[in-house]
Amino acid sequence: MRSIRTKLVVLPILLSALTIVGCSSQNVDKDTTADGSITSSTTTEDGTKTGTVGAGGASGVNSKDSQGDRSNFNYLPGENNGNNTNDITLAGLNNPDNLLSQRIIYFDYDKAAIRPEYMVLINTHAKLLAKYPSLKMRLEGHADERGSRAYNVALSESRAQSVKNIMGVQGALSSQIKTIGYGEEIPIVRGQSQESWQKNRRVEIKYDDY
Amino acid sequence: MIKKFLSLFLSPSLSRLLLQPVALVVLLASSVPALAELELTISKTSDDGIPIYIANIPGGATGVIEGDLKRSGRFTIIERPKITNLSAFGGELNGGEYNDITDYIVRGKEHEGGLQVELISTSDNAKTTYTISKNTNPRRVFHKAADKIYEKITREKGAFDTRLAYVTVTNKTSDNRQFRLYVSDSDGHKPQVILTSKQPIMSPAWSPDGKKLAYVSFEDNSSAIYVQDIFTGEKFMLSSREGSNSAPAWSPDGTKVAMSLSFNGSPDIYIVDAKSGDFTRVTTSSAIDTEPSWSGTNSIVFTSDRGGSPQLYQIAATGGKAKRLTFDGKYNSAADIANKKLAFITGNRGAYNVAIKSLSGEGKDFLSNGTLDESPTLSPNGAMVAYTTMKNGENSLAVVSDNSKARQFLTSPVGDIREPAWSPYLNH
Repeated sequence: MRSIRTKLVVLPILLSALTIVGCSSQNVDKDTTADGSITSSTTTEDGTKTGTVGAGGASGVNSKDSQGDRSNFNYLPGENNGNNTNDITLAGLNNPDNLLSQRIIYFDYDKAAIRPEYMVLINTHAKLLAKYPSLKMRLEGHADERGSRAYNVALSESRAQSVKNIMGVQGALSSQIKTIGYGEEIPIVRGQSQESWQKNRRVEIKYDDY
Repeated sequence: MIKKFLSLFLSPSLSRLLLQPVALVVLLASSVPALAELELTISKTSDDGIPIYIANIPGGATGVIEGDLKRSGRFTIIERPKITNLSAFGGELNGGEYNDITDYIVRGKEHEGGLQVELISTSDNAKTTYTISKNTNPRRVFHKAADKIYEKITREKGAFDTRLAYVTVTNKTSDNRQFRLYVSDSDGHKPQVILTSKQPIMSPAWSPDGKKLAYVSFEDNSSAIYVQDIFTGEKFMLSSREGSNSAPAWSPDGTKVAMSLSFNGSPDIYIVDAKSGDFTRVTTSSAIDTEPSWSGTNSIVFTSDRGGSPQLYQIAATGGKAKRLTFDGKYNSAADIANKKLAFITGNRGAYNVAIKSLSGEGKDFLSNGTLDESPTLSPNGAMVAYTTMKNGENSLAVVSDNSKARQFLTSPVGDIREPAWSPYLNH
C-alpha cells in the first residue's frame, strides 16, 4: 500500500493575515452568530468582525480588505523569493516552508462556501495540478458533530466540491480530483466547544505519495 | 488479503452487483473481541400509565415483560409487594379483589420450553391466555408475551420483539479507530457484530423483511452502499458511484432503495433497484438533498437546504415538485416514518432535539432535551423512538416513548454508540 500522509501543519505566517470580514455573507449570518462558528471574535464599531478562527495558528489581524490582498502575505507561492521554497513543484509538497505543505481548508457552520482567505492556498494547489496533469488529489470533506449525520455527509461532500470547483477554474482537470464527504465521522479533535467544532469543519487535501 | 479482496470489491469498474464471499465476513467478525453488552439506565417511567401487575414468573420473564411495558410509556408497573396473596397460574382469581390496586394482572409459567401467560382484567375478571412457543433466544419469548399483553390492552400492535441495528466506534479521534455495526434485541440485549471496519460505517437501514441491512461503508477512500444479510453475512454492493453514496432507505415493498448520490454534482435523491442496481433520479436541485425516508409506496420525505437551511420536504418517488413540510426553526432533518408518525431532528438556538409529529398533521412535540441529539428511529408501531444523545462526551442511545413519559439510555462501555435503526416487525 502506498502511504498517504496528512499534513496538519498550519503556517502562522500565511494565515496571520486571516481576517473575518463582518459583511461577508458566508461568515456571518444569524445562524453562525448564534451557533458561533467563530471561536473568539470581537465586533468593532464598524461591524467588522476580527478574531481567531479555531483553525490553529491563525491570529486575527484587522483588515476588511484581506480578500486577495497580497500585502497580507509575506510572500506568494511561485514567486522567486530567493530560496525557491515557494515554487509550485512536487518538491514543494514536502517542504514545510512551502504553502503547498498546507493541506487544510476550514469552513463556517453549515456552509460550503470558501472563505476568502483560503483562495490563495486553493489556487496554489490547483496550479500544481495544472502543471502536473498526471498528479492526483483527493479532497476529503468533514463536518462538525452538530446536526444529522447523513446531512453532514452531504454538507462535507459539498465542501469538497466547492474546493474542486475553484481548482477547476484554475486549470486543474476534473479527472485529477476525487472528492469524498466523511461527514462528522472522522473528527480531528474531541469536545463540544466552538473551537473543537471549527477544527473539525474542514476539507483535507491529500496527495498519494506526498 | 482482506484489503485486496475489498479493493477488488469496491472497484467501480466492476458490475454494481457482486456477491461477497461469506468467508470474508466471517473472518472480519471473528477478529472482533468479546461482544460488548450495553449498560441500561432508566431515566424515567410513566407514573400515570395503565396500572399492571406482573406476578413472578419462573425463568426470567417477569423483568423482561415489565421492562418492555415500562419503555412504552403507557403502563405503570405495580410493585410486587402490593399484592401478596395471589394464586398461581391457572388458579382461582377474583379480579375485583385487586381492582383498587391495579387494572390488570399478568400470571405466567414456563411451557414446553416457551411460555404461557394469562392477562386478567380486574374490572370485569376477563381472562385471556397466550401460549408463546420456544425460541433459540429465550428473551424473544418474553418480548412476544409483552407484545400480546400490549396489543390486548392498547389495541395497537406491540413492537418489543424487534431489533436495533447501531454503530459503535472506539478511539474515534485516533488512527486506531474501529467502527462496528451491531444488531441487538430492541432492548439492547444480545448484541452481535455484523461488520467491523477501520473506516466509517454509517446509516444502517433495515429491509422490510427484517433480514437485511443496507449501510454505507468508506473502504479505500470511497463511499459505497452495501446490502448484507444479517444471518448469512452474505453481502453485495448496491452503489459505489463517484462522490457520495449515502443515506439508504428501503421502499416499503423491499424492491428498491432510496439514497442520496452526488455523482451528478450536488447530492440528490435517487431510487435504486435492489436487485438490478438500475436507478432513477428523484430530485434535481443544485442544493443538498439527502436523508430519504418513505412516507408511502410512492412518496418520500427528505432533507434539503434548497431554501437556505436544512428543512424537510416531501416528493413523489417518481419526482416532480417537492412540498416543504417544516417551517419552524433553522434546522429540521433526519426524518423517520412509521405508523403515520414522523420523527425528526429539529435545531433551535444551538440545540438539536428529537421531535415527533403526525405525518399529515401540524405542530410537533419535543421528545428529547439534550443539546446534540440525532438519528431518531421509530419502532414499527410508532410508539417509541430510539435516538443518539451526547453523554459525557460520548454518544449513547436513548429510547423514549412517543408520549415522552418513559425514557432510558443504552450506553456502550467501550466508547461511542450511534445511529440506531429500529427493525420492522419480525416474521421469523
